[in-house]
Amino acid sequence: MYGGDEVSAIVIDLGSHTCKAGYAGEDAPKAVFPSVVGSIEQQEVVNGTKFEKESESMSDLKAGLKGLDSEKAKTKRKLYVGSQALGFRRDHMEVISPFQEGVVADWDIVDNIWAHAFKDRLLIDPMEHPMLLAEPTSNAPQQRERMAEILFENYKVPALFVAKNAVLTSFASGRATSLVVDSGGGSTTVAPVQDGYVLQKGVATSPIGGEFLTECMMKSLESKGIIFKPRYSFKRKEARPGDFQTIDLDFPNTTERYKLYSQRLIASDIKECVCRAPDTPYDESAYANIPMTPYELPDGQIIEIGADRFKIPDILFNPSLVQTIPGMENFIDSSPVRGLPQMVIESINKCDVDIRRELFSSILLSGGTASMQQLKERLEKDLMEESPQAARVKVLASGNATERRFSVWIGGSILASLGSFQQMWFSKGEYEEHGASYIQRKCP
Amino acid sequence: MALLRSYSCASSGMGVANQCKDTFLELQRKKTHRYVIFKIDEKLKEVVVEKTGGTAESYNDFVSSLPENDCRYAIYDFDFVTQENCQKSKIFFIAWSPSMSRIRAKMLYATSKALFRQELDGVHYEIQATDPTEMDIEVIRDRAH
Repeated sequence: MYGGDEVSAIVIDLGSHTCKAGYAGEDAPKAVFPSVVGSIEQQEVVNGTKFEKESESMSDLKAGLKGLDSEKAKTKRKLYVGSQALGFRRDHMEVISPFQEGVVADWDIVDNIWAHAFKDRLLIDPMEHPMLLAEPTSNAPQQRERMAEILFENYKVPALFVAKNAVLTSFASGRATSLVVDSGGGSTTVAPVQDGYVLQKGVATSPIGGEFLTECMMKSLESKGIIFKPRYSFKRKEARPGDFQTIDLDFPNTTERYKLYSQRLIASDIKECVCRAPDTPYDESAYANIPMTPYELPDGQIIEIGADRFKIPDILFNPSLVQTIPGMENFIDSSPVRGLPQMVIESINKCDVDIRRELFSSILLSGGTASMQQLKERLEKDLMEESPQAARVKVLASGNATERRFSVWIGGSILASLGSFQQMWFSKGEYEEHGASYIQRKCP
Repeated sequence: MALLRSYSCASSGMGVANQCKDTFLELQRKKTHRYVIFKIDEKLKEVVVEKTGGTAESYNDFVSSLPENDCRYAIYDFDFVTQENCQKSKIFFIAWSPSMSRIRAKMLYATSKALFRQELDGVHYEIQATDPTEMDIEVIRDRAH
């Protein structure tokens, strides 16, 4: 048992797109940075120490686990973590993600992300703070054991707790039983939660998340002849007051992936600024004449966005729309993907008859993509049409965009700060006595 | 800690005052109360009885004694007459967490619910409500029949 109310706990929600980290008890995460990292393969490293001295945010491999990771032995690479380190273009820098299909595939990157969060952003010593981590709803037992191992062995954390995303969202809205629709960067997950437990048989996932929509937005605009110039590829000069000149710069050693990453940043901003879910299913002819919305690209070009404002978000509801976007046609063929309302209904139908009614009336939205304008209203409307008559459909979402986007983190923050929660931690002592697998009993 | 709660999930570890169980039994067996409202005392780290209502009080009296911007648990004893003219009574457990309340309160009540609920043996129906329409008398009647 760990009685740690004297120091505040650290809460981390490592999502597929962004990592949220901060102190328990606060109402928003202190540090929010990309979950992808920059990586440069080191051909020949004479001695690693030379690089360690370099600069703060460039966490070195040596700082991480020693010998625990077998896969890290392959080639030496240097990782750049955080928006600033990643925002600076470097020759031969690739952009890589620790995730593959929603689960962690590269623990070395995760380790570096944690190190960045603790040392560079929160400025804490992990040995002094209990850690509460949010995990993906369908995380495998081996994944959480690995997580516990790294945190206890490398960071010597005093105590740990792991909670599922869907459970935290559900609790933060005051419901122990609910259906959580979490639409984040990398994927969309629908998970039924009953009395604080995820009903695994009812979990439905789809690869359509924010990043996928961003990709569609980019492809669609590119097909209309718009060129996205990455921010690093030009300079702007003020020739006369109010009159800017754009000068192109050439960096032949920039990797394709870094270029794509930079372009996606722009497309993602366009998406967030102009998109809203249409009230009724998207129809090409009905939206042909809608007014255009202007958007200024970083290089000063002004582009006009018309039907795409509505068409892109509608992909969430009707994935087959993807086939009409040039360059994305092959997506559907590989795997059948359902729209959001179908996922919700399928998920509820897999649960016990007794709780279906309750689930229909407490559908919670969480995640960045779910914060899209009008998404809540549209989902509610579609579900009303397709659900059984007796069901009272109610979609709930926090009115506050920050709360909606960070609902998982906020749930963790409050849970970890409750006085009575302090006896629930999985402590270092228990880890040493029972091993990593004990986490399955402490945090079911 | 010898008592390792296997059902702990992400629960808060909140205790329950004996008085809660006793009051509940009074409502269930002796029918001395129409409703009981419970609140969490964060300092004591346990659930305590906040208010009880006499048998003469109506459902509206019960609803109006729930705070607008804070969470509570409540037990309501619903008496009704069936179509066969048979006097019946059903006990409802209501988790009241209005959307107006602070997230901290919502979290506290949601995470403590499972433990508290287990202490009350003999509840017929359970309702989660975030606004008054979700625990309207019609909803109660509908569930009871």
